[in-house]
Amino acid sequence: MTRRHLLAAAALVALCGCGPDADDPRKQIGPHPDLPAPHQYLIPPMHVVKNVGWGNAMPKVAAGLRITALARGLKNPRSVYALPNGDVLVAESDGPGEPVSRPKQIVMNLVEKRAHSSVKAGNRILLLRDTNGDGVADERHIFIDHLHSPFGMVLVGGDLYVADTDAVLRFSYQPGQTHIDGPGTLLTELPGGPIDHHWTKSLTASPDGSKLYAGVGSNSNITENGMAVERGRAAIWEIDRATGAHRLYATGLRNPNGLTFQPGTQTLWAVVNERDELGPDLVPDCLTSVKAGAFYGWPYSYYGQHVDPRVMPQRPDLVAKAIAPDYALSSHVAPLGLVFYDGTALPPVYRGGAFVGEHGSWDRPALNGYKVIYVPFSGGRPSGMARDVVTGFIDDDSAHGRPVGLAVDATGALLIADDVGGAVWRVTSAP
Amino acid sequence: MPNPRATASIAGHPLHVMLVPIPISCFIGVLATDIAYWCSLNPQWADFSAWLVSIGVIVAAIAAILGLIDFAGERRIRSLAAAWIHGLGNVLVLLLATCNAFVHSRDGYTAVVPTGLILSALTVLVLLVTGWNGWAMVHRHGVAVMGERP
Repeated sequence: MTRRHLLAAAALVALCGCGPDADDPRKQIGPHPDLPAPHQYLIPPMHVVKNVGWGNAMPKVAAGLRITALARGLKNPRSVYALPNGDVLVAESDGPGEPVSRPKQIVMNLVEKRAHSSVKAGNRILLLRDTNGDGVADERHIFIDHLHSPFGMVLVGGDLYVADTDAVLRFSYQPGQTHIDGPGTLLTELPGGPIDHHWTKSLTASPDGSKLYAGVGSNSNITENGMAVERGRAAIWEIDRATGAHRLYATGLRNPNGLTFQPGTQTLWAVVNERDELGPDLVPDCLTSVKAGAFYGWPYSYYGQHVDPRVMPQRPDLVAKAIAPDYALSSHVAPLGLVFYDGTALPPVYRGGAFVGEHGSWDRPALNGYKVIYVPFSGGRPSGMARDVVTGFIDDDSAHGRPVGLAVDATGALLIADDVGGAVWRVTSAP
Repeated sequence: MPNPRATASIAGHPLHVMLVPIPISCFIGVLATDIAYWCSLNPQWADFSAWLVSIGVIVAAIAAILGLIDFAGERRIRSLAAAWIHGLGNVLVLLLATCNAFVHSRDGYTAVVPTGLILSALTVLVLLVTGWNGWAMVHRHGVAVMGERP
């Protein structure tokens, strides 16, 4: 959307009922974010940046760090997973597409076309191998092909689990293998199409390997497709690895991603994409530990008992039970990647906390996100202000790339999947 | 003396009156589907409302341009009080319905209740007045009717 369009939209908004300006995102980072009153617009503020690719540009890193491209020219790399032998798996993936049920979706599809990569993903997993240790992958193999919008990956012993958008699949894996044939074995079906609004299914395993955890996002922004299609969604599934049986481990999490256990603990963490169209500073996305059996509010409320007026019938009984997440990341940053850092290869300031990949905003006049941040931890809890680690994904009104999934490789380097930029970036200490 | 002529016409068939049944039906339909959503909370009714009001606005905008051409092209239409009430009233209808289309683009309950429902009802109320005057233009004053004034 150009400035001229934005001005026109702003003029229309002004004509039909003004809304608040976007505030400083730093007021919404931390355990107790500023929560302004909700505001519904005639035309919600949108700011969609044009995707221009990297060319000769590179992401910028904080002092003491260095960034290189592990691989470029990938098709929508959404998530990365580091295998113990140093090989790196990359899921190249597109959403399965959503049927049009309202005229708004026709308009939104046109608007969002600019922001997303025009490249069609292969819906497959690639294996990248750096044989000479120079930080650039010199081998690229099609590891698993013919997947259905894959996103989550986790290795438990000799079993590699892949979360397609509608199923968790198991593949038998030998270290050093560069290709796996066949469709895999179905462990558990996950809620998929035909709507499949939030389609990325994040996946991790419990520290003892007996359980898998899958993030299943909601099937709408805020129940506009009806509650019937939300069954089993906006939840984290706990799946028994032996039988495939599942239960809802936690609910009311609108779109949980980046599932991972904090190293050395039994605590599951996730980053959550919160609801849109209540204003530029509502609702802050978050990083949170996930308590077994807890309800986190969606769709009825946010940050505890802040009731969303767009959901009817309301459920005061559930709102009363809703708990607030641990740490707000500010509004509309779209966190999709999360990894704890307990390695020693990066400077000591990055020890014990978590990196978060923020895909970036579209429904906020001032852009937010489009970077990788570091949240310091102390005593097992997020503590203090988040700091920018990798930036430079946007220039004025154009995007070079957008960070998605994160991983730490066998050498302790941070890996970043960049879907719009078609790259996997590798962050190490500056020499 | 011949009846007042419609400037925007094909082979003597006036285009404005061919199109207006579509937005009239859509805007009355939105009120009905809004009430159905309000009573049932079934989001499918809200989806119907969003389609009806959006299609109604697009066709109404085309009909408005054609109506304006007829209005500008014939002095005897401009001299009718009914034409002024019909034209200005339908500008209000188009403004209300356009706002309503944006309200209906919201997600969830507040796409309809209360603002959308109120705008849908207001649109129909104004339509009753503008429709009455539109019919007066044709059936009383013979606008775009073939033949001679007695």
